[in-house]
This record gives sequence, C-alpha cells and structure tokens, in this order.
Amino acid sequence: MHFVLQLIFAGVCVGAVYALIAMGLSLTFWTTRTLNFGQGSLLMTASVGTVAMLGAGMPAAVAVPLGVLLAGGLMVIAERIAIRPLLKAGDSMGWVVSTLGLGIFLQGFVSTVFGSQAIAFPSLVFDSMDFVDLAGVQVSSQYLAVLGLSLTLMVAMELFLRRSAWGRAVRAVSHDADAAALAGIPVRRVIVLSFVASGVLAGIAGVMVAQITGTVDPGFGFNLMVLGFVAAVFGGMGNTAGALVGGIALGVIEKLVGGYVSTAAEHGMAFAILMVILAIRPQGLFGRKEFTKV
Amino acid sequence: MHRRSVIGLIGAAALTTTVAATIALSAGTAAAQDSVKIGMTSALTGPYNEYGEGGRRGVELAIEKWNAKGGINGKKIELAMLLDDQLVPDRAVQNMRRLLDNKDLVAFIGPAGSGPTLAVIEMAAADGRPYMNPVAQTPTVTYPDGGKPRPNVFSFALQNDVESMVLGRYVAKNFKKPGLVHESTAYGVSGADMIGKELKAAGNAAPVAVETYNQRTQDMTAQVARLQRAGADVVVCVGLGADLAVIRRTMARLNYNVPLVASNGALSIPYQEAAGDLVVGTRGSMVYVFGEDTLNPAAQGFADAYKAKYGTDRWWGKDPQRPQIFMSLSVSNAYDAADVLFEGIKRANSTDPKAIATAIEGIQGLRGVNATYSFSAAKHHAIAPEDVAIFEYAKSGDNIGLKIVKD
Repeated sequence: MHFVLQLIFAGVCVGAVYALIAMGLSLTFWTTRTLNFGQGSLLMTASVGTVAMLGAGMPAAVAVPLGVLLAGGLMVIAERIAIRPLLKAGDSMGWVVSTLGLGIFLQGFVSTVFGSQAIAFPSLVFDSMDFVDLAGVQVSSQYLAVLGLSLTLMVAMELFLRRSAWGRAVRAVSHDADAAALAGIPVRRVIVLSFVASGVLAGIAGVMVAQITGTVDPGFGFNLMVLGFVAAVFGGMGNTAGALVGGIALGVIEKLVGGYVSTAAEHGMAFAILMVILAIRPQGLFGRKEFTKV
Repeated sequence: MHRRSVIGLIGAAALTTTVAATIALSAGTAAAQDSVKIGMTSALTGPYNEYGEGGRRGVELAIEKWNAKGGINGKKIELAMLLDDQLVPDRAVQNMRRLLDNKDLVAFIGPAGSGPTLAVIEMAAADGRPYMNPVAQTPTVTYPDGGKPRPNVFSFALQNDVESMVLGRYVAKNFKKPGLVHESTAYGVSGADMIGKELKAAGNAAPVAVETYNQRTQDMTAQVARLQRAGADVVVCVGLGADLAVIRRTMARLNYNVPLVASNGALSIPYQEAAGDLVVGTRGSMVYVFGEDTLNPAAQGFADAYKAKYGTDRWWGKDPQRPQIFMSLSVSNAYDAADVLFEGIKRANSTDPKAIATAIEGIQGLRGVNATYSFSAAKHHAIAPEDVAIFEYAKSGDNIGLKIVKD
C-alpha cells in the first residue's frame, strides 16, 4: 500500500509539471495553430539563467522571477523570428524546422557559455530532506510545493481564459482569427500575449523540475518538452482540463509502470501512449473533433 | 586559346605544388632526424576541456621532464602537431586523419573521451604507430573483442571493467543484499553486468534488484522505491554525477537510509554541488594516488612540476597544498601515457612502431604517477584494480572531505 501511494504521489506531482508545459504548448497552438518545439530549450535557458543570477549573488526572490520573465521574453523572440515569418507562406509547415532550430541554437549557445556539465540548482524553499507526514506516508515537501503551485497556476490560467477580457480575446483568436480582427480584437497583440504566457508557464515548470533534480544542463528541457507535448495530445490539444488530466495521467502511468513492470519500460511509456491515442482518439481525451466550414 | 591558358595555369599550379611538397617533405625528413615528434588530438577547448586541456598539460610536462635530461637517446621530444577536437567525434576523425598523414610523427595521444576515441581507434590501429589512450573508459578501445589487445594501443584510462570490479568486490565484502541501479548506456549496462559477476564470484547472492534509468531523468521515484521495497541494504550505482544526485535526493525523500556506493561520478563536482550535505556517507571508486595521506615521490614530483608551471588552477583544485583527487584522470593520466611512451621509445632505441610496442610490453614495475606499471603482450592497460580505492565522504567539523575506505 505504502509503495503504490509513493508511486502515485510522485506521478501526480511530475504529471502536474508536464501539465504546465502542455498548457503552454496549447496556448500558442490555439492562437497560431503552430507548436513551439523550441519550448524545451527556452525552459532550459530560463533555468540556467536563473542559476547564473543566483550564482552572481542575486536573492532568489529576484532571480527566479527574472528567469521566468526571461523565458517569456525569449518566447516573444521565438514568435518573431521562428513562427511569424513562416506563417506568411500560407500552409507552410516551416515552423516545425524553425522552432526546432531555435531550440538547438539556444542549446548550443548555453553550452558554449556555461559548458555542457550539469550545474547545481540550489534548493529554494524546501530541501529534499523536508517532508510532511500524511497518514503515515512520508510526503516530500518539495513535491507537494510543486503540485500545489502547478495546480494553482492551472486554475488561474483557466479563470483568466474564461473571465478576463484578454482571455476571451485569446479564445476568440483561437476560434477564428479573421473574425476576431474584424471585431476589433488586436490579434497580433493577443498572439504575443499567448507566447509570453506560454513562456512564463514553461519557465516556472523549469525551476520546479530543477528543484526535484538539483541540477540543470543544456539538454535539460528537451525531454520535458516531449513529455509536455504527449500530455497535451493525450488530454486534447487546446483544453486546460485536458492538459491537466493528460499530464497527471501520463505521470502516474509512468510511475506505476516503472514501479510494477520495469524501470526500463518507464521511459517508453510516453511514446506508447502517444501512439495509442493517435490511433484510437486523435483529438485526445477531452478534445473535440475540429471541423472547418467551407 | 582561352581554354589552353587555363590548362597551362593548372599545370603550372600543379608543378609548383609538387615542388613545394617535395621541399616540405625533405625538410621534414631532415628535422625528423634530430627530434622525436608526436601528435595529439584532444578537447583543448569547449565544454569538455577539463580532460582535453588537462591532458595536453600532462603531455607537455612529460616532454619537459624528458627534454631536461637530454631527450630520448640524445634526441629532443617535440609535440609537433596538436589539434583540437572538442570531443566531437567527426572532428576527431578529421584530426586523426591529418595526424596519420604526417609520416614524421612517431606516436599519437588520442582524444579525451570514449565517443571520439571509438571513432578514430580503427584508423589508428590500422596505421600501426603507437597510440596512447589517456581518458576513454570503454575497454573495447584497447581490447576490441575482449581478448587480445590491439598491438599498438595502450590505455591509461580507468577502464569501466576495472572500476566495476573494484565496486563489485567492495560490495560483495561489505553488504548482504545489494540493489543495483545503472544508466541505460553501454557504460551503465556493462558496468552493472560486471558488478553482478563479481558478486557471484565472491559467492554472494544475486542483487536483490537491478533498475535502470536514462541519463538526465528528472524523477527516479520508481527506481528508488523498487530498491527500497526489495530491501536492498546498499544502493550501488553506475552513472554520472548529476544523475547520482537525483538518486541520492530521492533516497532522502523516501526516507531510505542505506549507503550509496557508486562509480567515479560520485566524486564529481555536479554530484557534490547538487547533493549538498547528503553526500556524507556516499562512497565512490577512484584512482587513489592523490587521496593518500602522503603522496608517493612520483606524484609529488608531478604535482610540484604542475604547480610551478601552471599554478593552482581549476585542474589543481581548491586546496593549494595538494592536488585534487580527480587530477589522476584529467592530467596525470596523460602525463603517464606520454612518460611510458617515451620510455618505450628509449628502450627500443628506434622509432619503428613494432619495436616501440614490444619495448612498452617489456616494461615491468615502472613507477608512474597514477600507479606502478607493468605491461605484457596480453595486457595493454595501465590502471589495475589495485590502483583504485573506495573513497567515502566524511564530515569533520564544518568541512566535508573524502577519505579512503580501508577494508
């Protein structure tokens, strides 16, 4: 009983981080119908930037927000150079290559400046020794904090999209950009906003994962981006509840397979899920089929 | 008319090149007579230059030592070609091609890691001139099919199999129910196999659990929880320092308090920094020469020479009084590789590749920095299990230090 609870708890916590990344990918997918495959590297750059600022003696209360903002800022650049120019060419899929390319560039840049070795990321609030006793099960405070923050952000995101004017504008643009423009919605600005929000979510996810692992390195984000992508597809692209359920389900399945089947199989689970979901329910668990009226 | 002038030009150019090449070649042969030239490709710049630049310094120090006493049989030694591969296999292949094409070079020092080394080793083996491997841990670099060594390749690295043997013996002697966890690379898999074999050879039961992970996995709850459930009284890990830190932190989170014993990644900076105070009690295997209370005379001589030439920099480590333990795999390994090579050339009294290899195989009980070296036609690797010890992090006052575990 103890064993299965440990696995499920870890799965829920890491899954919540996947959900944040999935949410970020969904946001920009809604507004531009593109996927930013450079997301992982952006997330990594933000965490490495945070470590560098912390190393320079900056207090965490300043360095972490700056690092997260760095991710948001980099997303604006990504949209400007790797997505916007390519969308002008009609149905071009060039953004697949340009966003990937931007990611590889960032990875190379960071390894040139900071080296390829793992850099230690200090514990911010809780240490890996801190825990809470929940009904006799030792629950790591770091993991609890990760879970709490992720859930809060997801709820805040959902409220923002449903209740605020900007949130409604994002949904309008995702529904039909041309009609939104006709209705006077500043489509360009809404798109940039969605990229900033996506970067901020990724930046926070990066810092949280670094709390779990204790180190960051130039290859750090890629795996996370892939897992976030699988979570988004699993739950249904363009759906907050979908991202959350997709992420947590992926995390829990991974841990249970790792715990009960084999740890070697754990790493393949994401791709197995991706294949199955694309074969039997391509719109994802919560997604609706997309129709285009001619 | 136009075409003819072009052809003429090409002809003239070709002639000039040939003449120039002939002159260069004769100049080269003339120079070859008064010096012994060697070539090296390594990660001189880039993220892995800890090993590459460190290796270059080791080689330079060895050359200086030999030249100070008159060179090899009266001939000065010269590092005639020094190329940078940044640990990138493609670049290492280009560099090695250039080195092999230079017929003046007597021997080579190879790249600073297994990736580029595996990419160049077949070329170097086919060429036949002596090749010294300073860093690459993969045993197949030297022993391609596990049996006979490549005739011209000698290794000064801490081979994976040697490291695993030491870990396996230590664990077999001190623990009843070991649990293994290893990275999913060839390094991790072969290391765990070797530890399993050592446990069996020592009459122990098989490990209670064997778990695997991909490098840079972010969460290892499943791996550690399985080891814990299996009741392992020690966690034995073959992997890199950063991943080891995740394992150690996860053990703390799951309140799993058994010793962690690991490959040399346990002694790396990423592990120390990311695990913080949790390192206390962790044990790792490593060449022990710079961990001894009193350095042996060869190591002391090397340390003095290094300090005089380069100062107490990042290769040396934090303590200005003595070099860090890791120096045996970043600088003194290459120093010893060059030293043994020069000794071989001296004993062969020739630059003939076969004669040098035979002379190196004849070296017995030669005191190097990292170990006392004995080679044979069947043994081409320098570091043996006896030269490796288990270190443990211990706290004394506010400082955490490494101590050799006596068993």
